[in-house]
Parts: sequence; structure tokens; C-alpha cells
Amino acid sequence: MDIGGLLNELLLEDKVMIHFDFMNGFFDINKSVVVTWGVMAVLTLFLLWLTSGMKVHNISTKQLVAEAIVDGLRGITGGMLGEEGIAYRDYMAVVLVFIGASNLVGLFGLTPATMDLNVTVALALMSIVLVEGAGIHHKGVRGWLKSFTAPLWLITPINILEIAIKPLSLCMRLFGNIIGATVIMELLKMAVPVIVPAAFSIYFDIFDGLIQAYVFVFLSSLYIKEAIE
Amino acid sequence: MDLTALGAAIAAFTGIGAGIGIGIATAKAVDAVARQPEADGKIMKLLILGCALAEATAIYGFVVAIMIKFA
Amino acid sequence: MLNISIMGIVYTVVNLLLLYIIFRLFLFKRVDAVLQKRREEIEHAKDSASKMEQEAEELKESYAKKLQEAGKECEELVAQSKKDGYDEYDRIINDAKAKAEQIIVEAKHNAQIEAQREKDAYVSELTDLVVHAANKIAVSKHDEESDKELYNKFIFEAIEKSE
Repeated sequence: MDIGGLLNELLLEDKVMIHFDFMNGFFDINKSVVVTWGVMAVLTLFLLWLTSGMKVHNISTKQLVAEAIVDGLRGITGGMLGEEGIAYRDYMAVVLVFIGASNLVGLFGLTPATMDLNVTVALALMSIVLVEGAGIHHKGVRGWLKSFTAPLWLITPINILEIAIKPLSLCMRLFGNIIGATVIMELLKMAVPVIVPAAFSIYFDIFDGLIQAYVFVFLSSLYIKEAIE
Repeated sequence: MDLTALGAAIAAFTGIGAGIGIGIATAKAVDAVARQPEADGKIMKLLILGCALAEATAIYGFVVAIMIKFA
Repeated sequence: MLNISIMGIVYTVVNLLLLYIIFRLFLFKRVDAVLQKRREEIEHAKDSASKMEQEAEELKESYAKKLQEAGKECEELVAQSKKDGYDEYDRIINDAKAKAEQIIVEAKHNAQIEAQREKDAYVSELTDLVVHAANKIAVSKHDEESDKELYNKFIFEAIEKSE
């Protein structure tokens, strides 16, 4: 068993999918971006099919599912954001669906998009931008700056450091979980090729992936709630 | 001698903290369910969330280990 | 896997924003539109239902009023007819009384007349008797005894007649 070789292959593979001979490969498109496009295409087609032919009365099962999905997503994210942050629940629902779908891609033998550090960094950056933007929007620039000294002026450096720590912890948690799950699954497949990986796949691919999506959205919502209070 | 492997091994010690944290969280959750069995849905949700958060420290160690070894 | 490229982050950010727009356009907006329409319809139905209820209430009130009026009218009618009946009764009784009094008066009058007539007849008979007696006296011879007898006879006759 060549564990080192497996890990090398998994972690150090060339992730560039589409190469441009332009500005020394600055605009290279990664594999994860292509996977994201696939996820987006599938989600878009699913939504188009789901929400086509919506009626007010005599609704079909399809429409019932669509309304239940909207209600459920908004219930999850709205409950975490609270009354004041209700405007951000749609974005948080989209992030939840995107991370969940990206993590579940592992079920189909593809590499999850969230296994690329670029994707999780982008997600975390958007979250922290949204958090600080919500804080500025709700409190004004002065109130936002003042919130750094709360509850004591002594911990202002820590508060400033948190701007960097929050997205770092968000992106590393997601990335580490997904890559950890993938590595463990690969090792398992190497050790026992049949049946056992399927059982563990339920935990590592489905349960863990969805939990991490939920945790990511939960923490982002918590930060937003904290920022706008 | 290559000491990077040793660094990665030390990073893996974060698992201790995560294990203790999840153990404490689970023990408290069991207590809570024993005291109030009707609230087990909420407790379960909070427990899974707490476990995911506690697990994150171990994941950080894992990420650091990988970074030491491969980056 | 561990190296970060700026464009990779930018691509993902753009993808995420695109996905957000897609979700907004194809899921949230559509479902919201349907929900909004349904809510409006429910509101409308509720409004019309309350309006109808109000109308029914008004109708009920007017019916109740009408019913009350009818009852009052009925009572009035009964009272009127009762009063009419009493009046009629009184009138009849009064008439009867008046008639009875008249009859009594007439009867009394008749009786008086009868009595007068009888008296007159009696007087005339008495007169006849006196004349007859006088004639008898005048015709028969006069002595004391026969006069006495004659007086007695006359008195007896008169008594007999008067009885």
C-alpha cells in the first residue's frame, strides 16, 4: 500500500483544467471551478424544471416541493439570522445549497469543489465582506468603527484580528473537513475496496458534507447577527 | 533527518483537544436528554453543531499537518 | 490543492453571485410571486366574506325589526278588535236595557190605562146600578122597611160587584 503516493496524487495533482497561454497562466481555470459550473448547471436546470408552470390554485406536487424548499431554506437561515437580519437569509440559503451540493458531488466520484482552497477562501471572503457590510449598513460607519471597542477598549486588537480569524476559521474548517473526509475515503477504498467504503461514504460524504454546509452558514449568520445588533 | 514528519505528528495532537471537547459536549447532552427527554430534538441539533465546531480544531491540526508535509 | 490563485477566488466569487442571481430569479421570485398572489386572494376573499357577513347581519336586523313591527301591529289589531267587541257588547247591552225600560214603561202605562178603563167601567156600572136602584126606589112604594131592605140589597150588590 502506497499511502504516501496516494496522498501525493490527491493533494499535489495539477488542478488546472483549462490553461490559457496568457499572462503566464494568470487566468487559468481550475478543476473546482468547472465542477462548480456543473453544480450550477444542474441546480439551474432543476430550478427551471421545478418552478415552471407555477399556479396559484390547484398546485401540483412539484410546486408543493418548490414551496416547501423555499420555506425550509428560509426557515433554517431566517431562524439563525433573527428578525433584523432577515434580508440576508436568501443569500445564506444559496450558500447553504451551494456548499451542500458541492460536498455531495463526492458521491458521484467527482472531486468536491470545496476541496479546493480557492473555493473555500472565496466563500469565506464573501461571508466576511457580507458581515462587515451588514455592520456598516445597520450601524453606519461611525457605529461600525465604535463596535471594535466593545465591550472594552482593551480588546480592540483582538476585535480587529477577528476580521482575519473569522474567515480563516470558516474556510479552513470547511476545507479541512472535506479534504479529511476525502483522504479517509481514499485510504478506506485502498484498504477494503468493497462494501465498507459505501457504509462510510454515508457518513463522510452525505452527513459530514451537509453538516459542514450547515455549520458554515450557521457561523456566518451568527457573525452577521452579531454585527447588526 | 527530515523533521517535517515530526512537525506533522505534533500537529496531529490537536485531536486530543477535539476528543475531550466532543466527549464533554456529548456527556452534557446525555445529561440534558435524561433531564428533559422532550427536548431531545433541540439538544441533538445543538450537540451536532457543537461537535462540528469542536471537531474543527482537530481539522485545523490536520490541515496544518498536510501543509507541513506537502506545501 | 493548497496553493491559492487570485483568479480562482474571483471565479468562485463570480460563480456564487451568479448562482445567487439564478436562485433569486428562478426560485425565490417565482415562489414569492405565487405566495403574494395567493395572499392577496385570501385577503380579498376574507374582505368579501366579511362584507357578506355584514350584509347578512343587516338583513337579519331589518327582518327582526319587521317582525317586531308585525307583532306590534298584530297586537294593535287584537286590541282594536277587542275594544270593538267590548263596544259592541256595551252597545247591545245598553240597547237591551233601553228596550227593556221602554217595555217596562209601556207595560206600566198599559196597566194604568187598563186600570183606568176598569175603574171607568166599574164606575159606569156603579152609576148604572145607582140609577137602577134609584129607579127601583122611585117605582116602588116607600116605607121604612122596604127602604132599609133596598139599601142593604144595594150595598150587598155593590159589595158583591166590587169584589
